[in-house]
Amino acid sequence: MTTSAVTRDTFEVFGTTAVLLVTRPGVIGQARSIADRLLAEIDLACSRFRPDSELSRLNAAGGEPTPISSTFTDLIAVALRAARLTGGDVDPTCGRALTGLGYDRDFADVRAAGDAPPRLTGPVGPVPGWTRVQLDRGGRRVRLEHGAQLDLGATAKAWAADKCAEQIADRTGCGVLVSLGGDVAVAGQPPPDDWRIRVTDDHAAPQWAAGQTVTISSGGLATSSTTVRAWTLGGRKVHHIIDPSTGEPARSCWRTVSVAAGTCTDANTASTAAIVRGAAALDWLHDAGLPARLVRHDGTVETTAGWPYDDPGDAA
Amino acid sequence: MPQHDIGAAVQSRDLGMAKITALSWRAGAAGVAVAGLLTVVLAHHPAAGTVPAGHRDDHGSILIPAQPPSQAPGAGQVTSGSS
Repeated sequence: MTTSAVTRDTFEVFGTTAVLLVTRPGVIGQARSIADRLLAEIDLACSRFRPDSELSRLNAAGGEPTPISSTFTDLIAVALRAARLTGGDVDPTCGRALTGLGYDRDFADVRAAGDAPPRLTGPVGPVPGWTRVQLDRGGRRVRLEHGAQLDLGATAKAWAADKCAEQIADRTGCGVLVSLGGDVAVAGQPPPDDWRIRVTDDHAAPQWAAGQTVTISSGGLATSSTTVRAWTLGGRKVHHIIDPSTGEPARSCWRTVSVAAGTCTDANTASTAAIVRGAAALDWLHDAGLPARLVRHDGTVETTAGWPYDDPGDAA
Repeated sequence: MPQHDIGAAVQSRDLGMAKITALSWRAGAAGVAVAGLLTVVLAHHPAAGTVPAGHRDDHGSILIPAQPPSQAPGAGQVTSGSS
């Protein structure tokens, strides 16, 4: 049984803000414990900024086959699936491209560094490509070919939100919403009026920030944007969404794309791909039946596949 | 009709039938090959990588939501934006 009373916990993780909402007040502590354990495990597997992470060790392995944990195996498999389903527009081998742009440390430190040159400078060209990742899922081994360097930022956080929501709902029996830096996953029985989500450019914006409020009852909702995780490099503004075909930040007609899908992972996969695809994303999302809200740089909005009507004056 | 003309006509007919049969086999084989190729191509097309709501396919499809979001008034319980 659920009630309309929703309990909240907010904390910092992965260099961003996490929010837990549960429909039964007495279980928020248990929910937080489940989330803490899972998130710590995922961080140790795939953080690009921890020298002791499995990902850091794999990137330093010089192409040698590397044994990995089941969690890291799942994370890589999810990233490769996203690459396959987007025709390579969401590619996990963009690690070297991000490092070349100066995103070689926690983002707060990148922003604090201002215009300081990165440790590896200059354009790196097209990324090696996801087919250079040889994953033996059953044997839990992986090998990176042709100098590929992994970054799982496009899928790991969303997958973590899905896993947390799923496990908390299973163990507590209540409805749960998990937001990790704006990647939102829900599971279990939702509140009577569903989960209300303010969709905007920046996950840290106040809940009355310009945007749109929508409700979901299952699955996930994610937003990708070129406006927030952005910094200056050599006098030019760059951001973290890499176009694999160039190895450079995507030059998109969209500043922000929000997508609802059956899971948060799929929502984030689609929203990231939409930024990379630019104008072609409209037809792709429509044909895929994915409800989405796409905001141009001038604030005008397009929607697809049943995303609710948006007041045009509300987005800018 | 003289006997030798009938024989020639029958021979021509049999030859024509044999050619048509061979052509039919080749056309059929080509059709099967094209259909197989189309199946492979379409299976890898991103737009084909979706499944109806409620189906879970961890291997080959982006999962669409059970229902699209609904408009709601006022503020949200959480904010979805880039981090």
